[in-house]
Formats: sequence, structure tokens, C-alpha cells
Amino acid sequence: MAQCVQSVQEFVQDSFVPMVAVLCSEEAERVTRKNNLNFAELLRPFCRLTSEGHIRDPSNQLQVVKNLRICVNNLVTSPTTTSTSLSPAQRQLLSDVVSSCQPQESAVTNVVMAGDYELNFSDDCVKASTPWYSVWRETLLEIKTSKYSSVTTPWFEAYRENFLQSMPASDHEFLNHYLACLLVVSSTEAVPVEQFLKLSQEQHRIQHSGEYTNPKWFIPNTLKYYVLLHDMFYILRYFLADEMSSSLEGHPLQLDSSMANLHNLSAVHTDLKKGAKDSNSPACAAGSHGACLTLNDHDYIRQFIQEFTFRGLLPHIEKTIRQLNDQLVSRKGLSRSLFTATKKWFGGGKAPEKSISEPKSTCGLLYPPEAPELQIRKMADLCLLVQHYDLAYSCYHTAKKDFLSDQAMLYAAGALVRAHMLVYTMICLNMVLAERCALLSAEILKSQGKYSEAATLLIKMTSEDSDLRSALLLEQAAHCFINMRNPMVRKFAFHMILSGHRFSKAGQRRHALRCYCQAMQVYKERGWSLAEDHINFTIGRQSFTLRQPEEAVTAFRQILINDSRQTAKQQGAFLREYLYVYKSVLGGNEVSLPQLPLPCIHSSATRVYFGHERRLAEGEKQAATHVSLDQEFDQDLSAMWCHLEEQLVASANGGVVPVNFQPTQCCLNSQTDNLRHPLAVVEEPIIVEVTFRNPLKVSLALSSLSLLWRFTVDGSSSSKEMTEETITNEETSAVGVDDIVTSETIQEFQLGPEETKMARLKLLPHRTGQLNIVGVVYNLAAGSSGEMTSNLMVRGKQDLNILGPRLNLTKEDKMSVRHGPDRRLNPIITAPMPLMEVFFLQFPTALLCGEIRKAYVEFCNVSGVALCGLRVVSTHAAFFTFGSQATTPLSPTSAENCSPYKTVATPLQRASEATESLVSADDFRQPSGVIEIPIDGSILQPGQSTQLPLWLRGPDQEGVHEINFLFYYESAEKGLKISHRVLRHTVFICASRSLSIQASACRSSVPPHHCLDEKGSSGTLVFIDVENINTNEGGVREFHIVQVSSSSQHWRLHKYINPNKDKECKLGSRERAKLCFRATRCKPSEATSKVVEKYTFSDLSMGNEQIISSTTPCGDFFFRCLTLETQEAYGASSRISSVSKSQGSVPTENRSSDLTDIAKECSELDLNIIVIWKAYVVEDNKQLILEGQLHVALQTIGKEASSLTAKEEAQEMVLLKFKSDLPPPVILPSAEFCQLIKTNLHYPETCTHPFVQESLCLVPVTLTLSNCSLAQVDVIIDLRHKSTSPESLEVHSSFAWVGQSQYKLQLKPKEVLCLTLQACFLQAGVYNLNTPRVFAKPSEQSIMCETSQQTATPALIVISNA
Amino acid sequence: MNTNMAVCIAVIAKENYPLYIRSVPTQNELKFHYTVHTSLDVVEEKISAVGKALGDQRELYLGLLYPTEDYKVYGYVTNSKVKFVIVVDSSNTSLRDNEIRSMFRKLHNSFTDVMCNPFHNPGDTIQSKPSAAGGSAVHSTLRLTPLMVA
Repeated sequence: MAQCVQSVQEFVQDSFVPMVAVLCSEEAERVTRKNNLNFAELLRPFCRLTSEGHIRDPSNQLQVVKNLRICVNNLVTSPTTTSTSLSPAQRQLLSDVVSSCQPQESAVTNVVMAGDYELNFSDDCVKASTPWYSVWRETLLEIKTSKYSSVTTPWFEAYRENFLQSMPASDHEFLNHYLACLLVVSSTEAVPVEQFLKLSQEQHRIQHSGEYTNPKWFIPNTLKYYVLLHDMFYILRYFLADEMSSSLEGHPLQLDSSMANLHNLSAVHTDLKKGAKDSNSPACAAGSHGACLTLNDHDYIRQFIQEFTFRGLLPHIEKTIRQLNDQLVSRKGLSRSLFTATKKWFGGGKAPEKSISEPKSTCGLLYPPEAPELQIRKMADLCLLVQHYDLAYSCYHTAKKDFLSDQAMLYAAGALVRAHMLVYTMICLNMVLAERCALLSAEILKSQGKYSEAATLLIKMTSEDSDLRSALLLEQAAHCFINMRNPMVRKFAFHMILSGHRFSKAGQRRHALRCYCQAMQVYKERGWSLAEDHINFTIGRQSFTLRQPEEAVTAFRQILINDSRQTAKQQGAFLREYLYVYKSVLGGNEVSLPQLPLPCIHSSATRVYFGHERRLAEGEKQAATHVSLDQEFDQDLSAMWCHLEEQLVASANGGVVPVNFQPTQCCLNSQTDNLRHPLAVVEEPIIVEVTFRNPLKVSLALSSLSLLWRFTVDGSSSSKEMTEETITNEETSAVGVDDIVTSETIQEFQLGPEETKMARLKLLPHRTGQLNIVGVVYNLAAGSSGEMTSNLMVRGKQDLNILGPRLNLTKEDKMSVRHGPDRRLNPIITAPMPLMEVFFLQFPTALLCGEIRKAYVEFCNVSGVALCGLRVVSTHAAFFTFGSQATTPLSPTSAENCSPYKTVATPLQRASEATESLVSADDFRQPSGVIEIPIDGSILQPGQSTQLPLWLRGPDQEGVHEINFLFYYESAEKGLKISHRVLRHTVFICASRSLSIQASACRSSVPPHHCLDEKGSSGTLVFIDVENINTNEGGVREFHIVQVSSSSQHWRLHKYINPNKDKECKLGSRERAKLCFRATRCKPSEATSKVVEKYTFSDLSMGNEQIISSTTPCGDFFFRCLTLETQEAYGASSRISSVSKSQGSVPTENRSSDLTDIAKECSELDLNIIVIWKAYVVEDNKQLILEGQLHVALQTIGKEASSLTAKEEAQEMVLLKFKSDLPPPVILPSAEFCQLIKTNLHYPETCTHPFVQESLCLVPVTLTLSNCSLAQVDVIIDLRHKSTSPESLEVHSSFAWVGQSQYKLQLKPKEVLCLTLQACFLQAGVYNLNTPRVFAKPSEQSIMCETSQQTATPALIVISNA
Repeated sequence: MNTNMAVCIAVIAKENYPLYIRSVPTQNELKFHYTVHTSLDVVEEKISAVGKALGDQRELYLGLLYPTEDYKVYGYVTNSKVKFVIVVDSSNTSLRDNEIRSMFRKLHNSFTDVMCNPFHNPGDTIQSKPSAAGGSAVHSTLRLTPLMVA
């Protein structure tokens, strides 16, 4: 319960005061009217005695009466008898009292308000972001620490006071019965004494005639006190004790009506006004009361009251008590039991409350007025009135016991006062009395700290019949809950709501609103959304009816913002109500628009796109895909584009990426880097995609949706005198803002129930400067349910505040929630930049692996600024080429159906011989994959466009390939804020299988001297296996191998040596063919100049047309593939070497690496083979010829190379490894040493020998050893037969080498040595002479690890018998 | 209405926000929200009173929290301070202390199941499929067993 200003003692004291009636003559009434008061009202402010009085109790002990107040009322006779409830007038009065007593709005002077303010948490306490628990704890702390005890509820006190005073007197108790009567007569009367007599008779008549049940009198012998009112002079006063003894005393009570002395009236005035209300008199205009009273008059009145009390009233009471006591003692031997019974019954000091619950038995039992029980009661009441609590207590007990034994009356709560325990027994006869009882006992319990009991009591007192009372009591109960030692905040809140509900039923709107607001603090932001919505809705309604529309709007707004669990119908009602209230709030002439709560904006999902929306296709032209808002952001892709852009910028800046390089971001979202201000270009649109979410289950209709912005014009660039000028379209009155930034408006934007939808809003800046997009503005209306939507529409805005990513660098960042800046919406508008569009013509979507296709690309400068520095880079560098020679761009129509290759007619005479051409690699190679696009004059003027041929080659791996192009260009002007621009393009190419080519090389066994123009070890055979692996049966009919070319720095294909000279090589599905070629070393003069990498291209045409492979596009693609491969190879070798170094355990490393070098050099081939094919494809009953080329790089002799990279197959099934494997041990590549020495045997193929004459046949055989390596080689030749199986040694089938059977030789680099051997045959037959085992090792090698040299082919000799 | 049925059950998070509230006369949901919310005061009072005395070995079942004119409110607090509240019609005499206890135990088991769901984010409100189409044919307890996470 809220604390009252009065203390409990004062309160109890003041609740029970002696009642004094006033009976005035007409004349006296007239006199007092001068002050606009009647006599009782005149006295009332002075009714509290300032000095102590004394009274003797029946045992003759002196009791002090302190601070006594008496209550003076005009004697009003009323016929009303029912005292069980309040009269309507009284109710009205109480209601007025309560409604007039409101908490003040300004907390300047009001203590109450200060307390209330503590309770009303300021708004910043309840931030939405704070988790519930901490808010809750905070609230609790706040409530505990707040000076809750100082929270006062003045309306309640006012109510209580009035209630107690206006209580009608009742039969069973005597508290409100009149003890005395003042008879007032004016001195202006002709015969005052007569008048006194008349009044005295009147009083007697009222009391004893029985006509009136009201008022009631305490005892038959009422004290009569005669007052003579004298204006200006005196009051004569008669003091009549028992009508018998009468003494007359004079007392001056001067009322100076002539003195218009108005000073010090303020104090009196307030008191009087209070008094005026008490006595049912209509409220008079302020300032009119007591206007004629002087200070002296005040003193006189005070003195008069004191006299009356001390000399009249108190002695009268004393006498009455004594009389009653005597009567009682004589009738019953009560005195003994008076004090003993007390302890027994009320040991715990708790009042038995059960009796309240059985009010039925009260009726029907009535006590005669003079019954002893009532006499006791009467005495007790009297004692209570004069603060003689001990006696009163005992009397009450006696009475109660009597009543109880009669099983009749009911009584109520206990009361405790001061250190003594006074159980105030109430007879709970009716609601009014029960209420009084409750009020009193609650107050007393409260003072004892028994809040819970007080609350229970108060709640019990609420009932259906009086909303006002229920409301007030519930509120007090609520306060009780919060004042408990463990504050029950939720109970507080709940009872506040109940109270608010009752207040609103009682018509006390302001109080109701206040209750709901206070309860709201407990429910707010804690997940109890249903309750919260209900409270908010009530607050909204009440605020609106109380003409506090702002609060109403806030409350309704809360309902809508909350993730409400209400039904759709309910939400629709909320929304309509909100819009209605909102509309009434807005006068329509606001300068700045109000914030709207709906729909929710998911601000971090906002995306910003700079630039025009792209056309995707224009006729058969296919535009570059670039970036659009329809694409989802992908972190990997973004990194890929960034990497590509870095390459481009590096190439444009001489190979170095500038320090301040930042990747171009066309579309900003939450994942992009938004730390810097994005750069936008003047006259290019900015599209902002705002994500709206409708939290409601009803649809919303937005209209006239557009962006709000602020714009700061560039000070330097504008010629105006103003340097920093901010222009905004936020004000509705803003005019001419479209000249600076045009904002596009979306007319209609519907949001379905609980829908999330994006709106794209466009801005077009016309000036350079700083643009800040601050929010969106729109009309909000309920969804299109009916026609009435148009009038219920409000215009408002919502801000777009984007929080940056959460910071996590410093400790402070980690401890608290901090966000970095996000400048997505704050672009800088810069000077015009060139804008390029790229179109592709005849661009395929599907290709065979290795297929060459010619397409066209068109560059179009659509801006007003010239562009230059056009470059492109791609993720698949080998996919396309613009050609390296200056080719005249043919328009696609003229070149239709032409082969992408350049051809010349085959010179017939040298069909199987290769034509050669020597090309420098620099002509083709582009550094780092960036291709500078060869446009005319390298500048594209505004509006100009140019078309270039573009050759494409299908990727070597089958499947769908995503190929990304990034075009780069910059403005012809230099020194702009934006250094360059880029344009993205992504294509998807579906590659299907074509041919698989496997090539291998081996040394030819032809002895070197047989070849005319070559050095010894250079003859090499190349075998090419071609297989048609195309699986698409319907499409490709057959493949023709058109030409095989080679390209190498050292080697070339020399001759087509297929034994079957069938020219055209056709391959149907799944067919395979083998082609044989001879390769030779290039001419040393060309090969040795290593400084300039020169490649020899040699073409071997199989048809009648020869394709010059060294030109575009064949050469381009060859080099593109080559660079890629070498890059990969470097990567791999560097990896391996780092591994071996990290091992660090090989002291022989240097040597072994030398060895490998030697071996490598010896067996190295480095021959690249290009197979050019034609595919005959039937498509839509039309035969098409597709052409393509495949590359095979033959690295070493003896190793097979494939056009399908082995990696491709291997990668498919790589097991996931959780532990990195140990690097494979570096094995000496012994296999490579077997190619060190090339051996040839020369002998007569047949030999006829007469075995009959001579049993032994000796044949000379020449063994030619050619050192293929560039190092000195030790060679050991062992001619002994290897005994594979000694048992089965067949002498007959064998021959023997005779002479020196083992040689040790040393061969210089490239040396050719001939050894003459003798073979001995025993009989005729066919023998294989290739039995000498040749071991070789480089000379530097100390350890003997000779490797057996290849003995590939059998050397057969036929020995015949002559 | 079935006689063996509670009129409202509620699961309240440690921080005293509702995780799950379901009442049978759905049209008067608000009232139950208020009732449950208010009962938390008593729950906290009981916890603080018991907690001091017995430490960890306190009884989870709190018993009758308080009676109102129409309802009886029972409370139960898990060791992790999640509160269960069951509101029973006070005219319902078939539900005595033992029945209430077993209801709470079932509720606790269901709640544990929900918490064990790896896809449930602790602290999120619990969504339960309406046990029966009308929600009427629920016997012994307002079934929370098919507590599912949406």
C-alpha cells in the first residue's frame, strides 16, 4: 500500500473523532454567510486542538488527550434509513474527490510525482536490445532502491478521508453519533435567549421525537452548547451540561465583516476549501471563502473551540464514561474479566477473519438500544474517541465476547496501535462498515509491516458493487505487494491492471491509464506478449480518449512492432485503430514526417546497386551479365572477381598493384566491405533494395514509396559561393530537390500477411557531392480488404540505419557490443566516368573438348566520356583469344560457315613431309593472363562501338564450365576519383568429349649414320593413339584427323611414317587409330639461341589443305595452353623441391640432382603435338563441320602423354586423408638412365656357312654405342650369356660371343663408338644377337650403379647350312 | 471439458519469459497469461525460501502456489530454474496432489526431450503441434508430449 502522508496514529485518531452537531438560527446563518461559509464550515479549519486536554477514567486515573480533533457538522435531518451502502450522492462525491486528485504532470513541487518518477522507469532503461534477464534484474533493483515508501497516492487518502467522514451512523456502533450540539444564535436577533430556547427544543425534537433516524445521538442527554454569534463584538455562550445546571459565560468571537483584510488568506483559504468540500456544499469560487476573517478572528475561533472542548465536551465525555461504567459494573460483574479475556483470545494479535465469510447470520438479530452489550460498546467507542485506548480495548473485548456468545454479530480485523496492542473489533455488518474496517486495519497492518495480510484484506474488500472502491483498494493492495520484503512485482502489476480495469469502469480514465502504465513497466519487453499487447491496447485507447494522442500512438505502435501472437482479426483491428489515431494526431502540416512502425525494415539486408540495370540480350546480341541485384552474393565468387581485378590493375599499372587498390563493388550488401564510402557516378542510377517484413497477419498496402536523402554538394566543384550546403528531401516542403537527385517513386507496394518483400528504389544523382540515403517515405494503409483503405492512410517515414559488423579487435570491443561503420548508403557522387557495354555474338553454349569456334564481341561506349585501356582477364585463360596478329575484323555475316583456321593448299609433292615455320613465343604470350584488347586507336570515343573476332576453344575437360571474364577500362581523362571500371561476364560452357590422344616416343633403332642430315642420337619415333571417345551418338558422326603439328624449341615432327598410307584418318564412335611419326631435332643454329624462346612449328597435313598452325588461332591456343601447363609444372616442382629440402637428410642430393639432370637432358623430348581434327555433326538434319585441336606435350622419351590430363581421372577418387602422407622418398630415377646409351648391332642378316666342313661359324658383328647424353659416360659391356636357368642350358640353341667378352669404355658426350665383336655359331638356325648387356653410368658417379641399357628389339640373324 | 485435465500449462524460462503457454479455453488466453505471470512471484518466493534451507536437494514440486476463485495454480521448478505452472479448475476435484505431481513429471520429461533435440536452440520458445485437432480429446494431462520444434 502506498504510504500516506499521515502517520498511522494520526490516521486512526482522525478516523474516530467526537462528532458535534451545529444548529444555527436563521440570523446566525445569515451572518456567517458573509464569509460564504456556514457556521460549521467556519469552525472546521480550527477543529484540531493544539493544546493537551485531560480526562479521568472510571478508576479515576488521569488520561492525557493530545491533538484531539473534533468534527463539526451541520445538523441535517434526513429520512434515509439505509446505511448499508452509500447514497448515490456520496458516491458521486467520492468519485469527484478521486478524479480531482490526480498526480501532477510537472514534478516540480509534488513529492508524489518524484516517487512516481522513480517508479516510471525512464525510457532508456528499457532498451529493446537488452536481454530479458538483465532488464528484469534491473527493474527489481530499481523498484527496491526507489523510494517506494515515499510513493503516495493522494487520491486514495482523499477518498479515505471523505469516505470515513461521510459514513452514516449506524445502530450497532456509536462512533458517528453526535456527542454534543452547538446552538448558534446571532446577536443581531431581537431576543437571543428565546432563539436559544427554540433551537434547544428543535434539537430535542430531532433527537427524541423518533421522526428522524438520522442523525443519531450518542446518549439521550446531549451536550448543548449555546453560542451567540456577534458580528464585530462578542459571542455569548451558554454552557449547558445536563439541561439542569446552566451557566452562562461570555466569549468574544468577533467576526469583522467590514474589514476587507485579505492578507494571510491563502492558508485559511485552502483549509476552508477543504472544509467546504467536506460538507457537501457546492464548491464555491476560490477566494470567496472567509474573505472577511482577520487574523484575530482566527485566534478567536481557535480559542472558542478550545474552550468548548476542554470545558464542555471532555467533561461531558468523562461523565458519560463514568456513568456507563457504573451501570455496567452494577449490572454485571464485568470488571474482573475485562483484562483477562484479552490475552486468551488475541494471543497472536491476529484478528479472526473467518467471521467475514459468514455474513448471513447477521440479519434478524437486533439488540435493543439499551442492552448491556451495546452499553459496553458505547463506552468503548467513547473511550476510543478520547484516545483512551486501553480502556477502549478492554471494553471492546467484553462486548465482543458477549456478541460471540450470542452467536450473532460479526466483527473484523484487529488493529494495533503504538506499542500497545489494540484490537479493533469491527462488526462487519455491511459493506460500508467492512470497508472502513478494511481501510483501518490495512493501514495498521501496513504499519506493522504485514503487507501480505493487508493486501489480502484489501483484495477481499473488492466487490462488484463499487468499481471505484475496488479500484482504489486493488491499487493499494498492489502497492502492498511491492512493499513486501521480497517485492512481488508481478502481483503488483497484475493488481494494477485489475485496478486499472476497475478505474476505467468507474469512469476514472486518468487513474486507469496511470495504473496500466505502471503495470506496463513490469510486463514490458519480457516476452509476455499477449499481456503486453492487451495493456498497450488499453493504454492506447485510454490515452486517446484523454486526448493524449502521442501516447496513444506510442502504445499502438508497440503493439504493432511486437511480434504479436494475436489473431489476424485482432491485428487488423489494432492496425485500423493505430492508423485512425495516427491520422488524428497528424495535423497534416508537419514539416518533418513522423516515424512509422510498420512494416519492419530489415536494414542490414539492404542492398545497394550502383549503375544501370542491364539489358540481358538485344536481338541476337548477348550482353555481358555483369552484376545485378538478382544475383546472390557469394563470398568465393567475390574473392575470385577481386583476384581477377587485381591482375587487371596490376597489368595496367606496370605489373604492380597500387597500394590504395580497392576492388570495385557494384552491389553492396551486408557481406561486402562497407567501411569506405562507395563511389557512384553522376547521372548513373543508384538502386537501393530495401527489405520489408510485415510482422502482422493482415496485409499492408504501401504507396508512394520513395527514398529520403540528404545531399551535400561538392564545395570545390560548384561555382556557387556556398561551400557546404546540405539539401534534403526530408521536408515535405522541399522544392526543387529533383534537380539534384531524382528519386523514383513506387506507386503501389503490397505486403501480404507475414511476408518479407524487397522494394527496389532508384535515385538518380545529377550533381557531384556526398549523398546520404537516410530512410524511406511512404503511405501506410491496411491491406486491400475494402474500399475504405484510401481514407485510412498515413504518410510517414522510417529511417534506414545500418549497423556495421560487430567489432572484435580490442578488449573493449569484445566486452561490449560495438559496431563498426557501414557506409553502404553514403555514396560519394563523382564526376562522369565512361561506361562500356559488351555484347557477344554467335557465342556458343556447348562445345566439344578442344573445339575451336569463332565468335564476335562488341564493345560499346554508352557514356559521354572516352574510354581506353581496355583489357580482359578470365578464369580460363586458354578458353579464348582475340588473335595475336593484326587481323582485319570481318563481320560475322561475311565470315559465316568459314573455318576458324587459316588454310593453304597442301603442296602435293611433299605430302608426308612437314612444313616448318619458326615463331617467337613473345608474339603470342601475354603476361599473367591479362589480354589487352586490340581496339583501333586504343580509345573508344563516346557512343562509338567496335566489333572484334573472338576465338573460343572448348575446355579440355568435359562437363559444365563456368567461365568468368572481367573487362577493364579506364577513362581517357586522368586523375579521377574512380581510377578504372570493370565489367563482369559469366558464361557457362558445356564441354562434351571429343578425342582422346595418347602419344609416346621412343628412339628409333636406325643407326645414326643412316640418317643423312642428323646427328646420331636425334632420331625419335612418335606414336600417336587417337580414340574417338565421344559418347553423344546422335550428334557427332565421325572425326577426321586433319593435321598433326608439332611445336617445340628443340624438336619437330619430320615425317608421317605410317606404313598404311591411307591419308584421311576417319574415326567413328569408339574407334581408335595409331599414327606414327618421325621426329628430329631442330637445326642447331635455331635451337641453341636460347635467349629468345623460339618455337618451331611443323605441320603434317593429312588432307589436301594445310593449316598454318603457327598463326591465329591455333598458335594462340597452343601458347595459352602451354603457359598454363608450365605454370602448373613450376608450381609442382617447387613444391617437390621444398619437400626434399625440408627432409635435409640427403648429402648426396647435389649429386643425385646432377644425375637426374643428366638423365633428364638425355631423355628429354619436350615435343608438343597438336592434333587438328574435324568433326562431322548432324544437327537438325543439317551437317555441320566442327573443327578443333588437341594438345599433347611429350616430355620424355618412353613416357606416354595424354591429352586427357591424368589428373582429371585421378582427382575423381581421391580419398580424404586426415593425416598428411610422408613425402615419397626420392628414388634415383634409375629408369631414366637406361636411355643414356643407344646401342645398335650391325651384322649381315643372313649367313651361309658349310657346317659340314667347318663346325664353327664366326660372324663379325659391329656394336655401335652412341652416347645420348651430354656427360661423359662409363660403359661396361658384358657379352656373357646370362644364365637364367642353368639346368636348361641348351647348347644347341645357343651361340657364343668369342674374343673379349667384357669391355669397359668411356664415352664422351655425344660420342659414337663402334666395337667389333665375333659371334660363333655351332649350327644353322635363327639367332637373336641382341644379347650384349650394356651397363652405363655417368663418369662423375663414384658409386657403381650402372644401369642396364635398353635392349629393345631382337636382332635376328639367319645362319643357314650351305 | 474432460475432468482429468488441467486448464492451462506453462513453461517459463529461467529468465521468466514464457517458453510455452497453452490453455484449453483458448478464447481466454490472456487471463491465463496474467495468472501464470503473477504466479511467478510466488514461485520465486518459494524457491528463495526453500533454496536456503535445503540447498541442492530441494523438492522440484512446489505444490499449490495459490488459489484464486476459479483456479488452483501449481508450480514446479527444475534444477535449471525452468518453471512449470499448471492451472487447474478449482471445481475439479479429481485432480489431487498426486495427479498434479505426475503431470509435472510428464511435463518435465517432455521438456527434457525438447532440450535434447539438437536442433532446438535453448531459450527459444517451444512450439508444440496441437495434440489433437480440437485440442479437446486430451486425457490425463494437456499433452505436451509431441513438443516439437518448428
